Amino acid sequence: MLNKLKSIAKNGVKRLKLIARSAMFRYIVRRLLYMIPLAIGISIIAFITMYAAGDPISLIRAGKPNVNQATIDGLKAYYGLDKPVPVQYLNWLANILQLNFGRSLYGGQSVNTLIGPEILPTIELQIISLLIAFAISIPIAVHSARKPYSKQDLTVTSFSLFGVSMPTFWFGLILIIIFSFTLGWFPSAGAKGAAGFLWWGNPVLDVIAHFVLPVVVLVYVSLAQNIRLIRANMLEILRSDYILAARASGISERKVVYGYALRNAITPAVTFLALALGGMLAGAPMTEYVFSWPGLGRQYVSSTLSLDFPTIMAITMLITVMTLVANLIMDILYVYIDPRVRIR
Amino acid sequence: MVSQENNESNTPLKRRSASQWAVAWRRFKRNKAGIVGLIIVVGVVFVGLFGDFFAPYPAFPNNGWQTPFYNGDVRTAPNSHYLLGTDVLGTDILSGILHGTKYALYVGVVVTAITMAIAIAVGAIAGYFGSWVDNLLMRITEIFLVFPSLLFILIFVRVLTLGAGVGTSFNLLGIGIPTGLSIVIFVLAIFNWPGDARMIRGEFLRVRELDFVEAEKSLGASNKRIIFRHILPNILSSIIVVASLTIAYAILLEAGVSFLGFGDVNTMTWGQILENNFSDMRVVWWAELFPGIAILITVFGFNLLGDGLSDALNPRLRD
Repeated sequence: MLNKLKSIAKNGVKRLKLIARSAMFRYIVRRLLYMIPLAIGISIIAFITMYAAGDPISLIRAGKPNVNQATIDGLKAYYGLDKPVPVQYLNWLANILQLNFGRSLYGGQSVNTLIGPEILPTIELQIISLLIAFAISIPIAVHSARKPYSKQDLTVTSFSLFGVSMPTFWFGLILIIIFSFTLGWFPSAGAKGAAGFLWWGNPVLDVIAHFVLPVVVLVYVSLAQNIRLIRANMLEILRSDYILAARASGISERKVVYGYALRNAITPAVTFLALALGGMLAGAPMTEYVFSWPGLGRQYVSSTLSLDFPTIMAITMLITVMTLVANLIMDILYVYIDPRVRIR
Repeated sequence: MVSQENNESNTPLKRRSASQWAVAWRRFKRNKAGIVGLIIVVGVVFVGLFGDFFAPYPAFPNNGWQTPFYNGDVRTAPNSHYLLGTDVLGTDILSGILHGTKYALYVGVVVTAITMAIAIAVGAIAGYFGSWVDNLLMRITEIFLVFPSLLFILIFVRVLTLGAGVGTSFNLLGIGIPTGLSIVIFVLAIFNWPGDARMIRGEFLRVRELDFVEAEKSLGASNKRIIFRHILPNILSSIIVVASLTIAYAILLEAGVSFLGFGDVNTMTWGQILENNFSDMRVVWWAELFPGIAILITVFGFNLLGDGLSDALNPRLRD
C-alpha cells in the first residue's frame, strides 16, 4: 500500500518535471513574463495621459466655483493627489497588485465594488457573440468560396461587406427602433427585467430576451469580418497545387474541402479570433452604450466623460489584461491547430 | 545617322504598350462592384464639396446656439418642408447630412494621410533594413495592436479637448477648420497605423528580395533611392487599396467616437447628429435612421472601391 502510494507520488513528480521541462510550458511562462512589461507599459501610458491633463479634482471643480480651497485640499489629500505623479503611479501600482483599484472620485466609493459586478456581463456578452459568430462563419465562408463569383457567393460577399461598412452602434439603434419600440418583441435596454416585470414571463427567458439584440449586433459585425477573412483564405488555398494533387488522387470533394483546405484556411482565422476578441472587448463601449448594458464598456464611457480617473484606469487595465490573456490562449491553440508551428 | 536615332527615340511613340495603370483600369472597368463604389465615392466627394450650396437650410452652428433653427420646428416627422424630418434641436436632417458630408471626408482623408505616412515610414524602415531595427519596430507595432485602442482613443480625445480654445475653429488657407474635430482626427490616426505598417513591411520584405533590387544595389544605388524610386512604386497598388479601406474605417470610427459623446460638439458630423437624438430616438427615429444611412452608404462606397481596386491592381488574388 505504502509502496503503491510512493510510486504514485514518484510518478506524479516525474510527470510534473516532464511538464516543467516541456517546450510548451516554457513557452507559456515566457509569454506570461512578456505580458508583464507590456501591461505595465500600457498602464504607464494611460496614467501619464490622464494626469498630464491636470489633477482631476481641479478639473472637476472647474464648473463649481463655490467649493472652498480647504475642501479641495482635503479631497486631494484623501485621494493621494497631493503627491507628485510618479509617486501616485507607484502607489497605484502597489495597490493594484493587491487587487485594490482605489476609490472613485464620485462619492468615494471603492472602484472594486463599482465595477466588480460589471465584469461578468461584459465577458458573457462578448464570449457568446464571438462563439456564435465563429461557428456560423465557417460553413458560410467555405460554401461561398467553393463557387466563387456565383450568385450565392455574391450574396454572401455583399452581406459581409455591408456588415463591415455599418456602424456597429447604428445597427443596434435600428434593431431597437424596429424590434423593441415598434414590434415590442425584445427589451431595448439592460440585462435583466425589473422585479415586477419580466420579459416573456420567466426569469430565464427574461435574461435570454435581453441578450438577443446585443448578441445579434455583435455577431453580425464579427461574422462579416470572419467571412471575409476565411473566404479569402479558402479561395487562395483551393487554387493551390496540393489541393489539385488531392483532387487528382481521387479523394472525395468533401474531404478535400473540409479535411485539407479548411484546416489551412482556419489557422489565420484563429489569430484573427484573438484580435477580434481584443477588438470586441475594447469595442464594448459602443454596444453596451446603445443597449445600456450594465457592463464595463458603458461604465467606461460615463467614467471617461466625468473624468473619474481611478475607474478609467481600472477598466483599461482589466480590458488590457483580458485581451492579453485571450491572445495567449489563441497562441497556444495555434500550436495544436497548425502542426507546422513549432514552439521554440 | 546617330542623331537620327536619337531623334527617333525622343519622339513619343504612337503606339505604346499599355502601362500597368491602363491595364488595371481596364480590369477595374469590368468589375461592377468596383464601379458602383467609384460612383458612390465620386458622388460623396461632390456632395462634400458642394453640399453647402444645395442644402435647403444653413449649417448647424449658424451664429451660435441662440439662433433659432429653421423656423424652430422641433421633432417634425419627414414631410414636404423637411424631407427627412427635423431633430430634437430643430435641425433639418437633410441639411445636416449634406453639411456633414465634408466633415466625414475631412476625417477620412486626413486620418488616412497621417496613418499612411506613419505606416509607410515604419513599414519601409522595418522591412527594408531588417535585423534589430525590424525587430524593435515590430515589437512596438505589436504593442499597439494589442492596445485596447478605442479605450485609449476615448481617453486621449477627452483629455486633449479639455484644453483651452477648443470648440472654435482655426483658419487654414481661408478655410475654417474645426479644432475639436482635428484633435479627434489626430488621435484616431495615432492608434490606426499599426495594421497598415505591418502590411507595408510585408510588401517591402517581398519586393526587397526581387532581382531588380539586387541589380540596383550592385549598381551602387543608395538606400534612399532604392526605397523611394524602386520599392515604393512597386507596392503603390497595395498602398492605394489599403488607403481606400482606411478612409472607410476612419469614417466609421469617428462616427462611433462622436456617438459616445466624445466628438466635437460644435461640428455637426453624422455621428454627432446620432448622438444628439439618441435619448429621444423613440420619437425621432428618422434622426437616427437617415444619418446612419449616410454613413453606411459612404463607408460602403469606399469599401467597394477598395475591394475593386484590390482585384484590379493585384490580379494574383483573382483568377
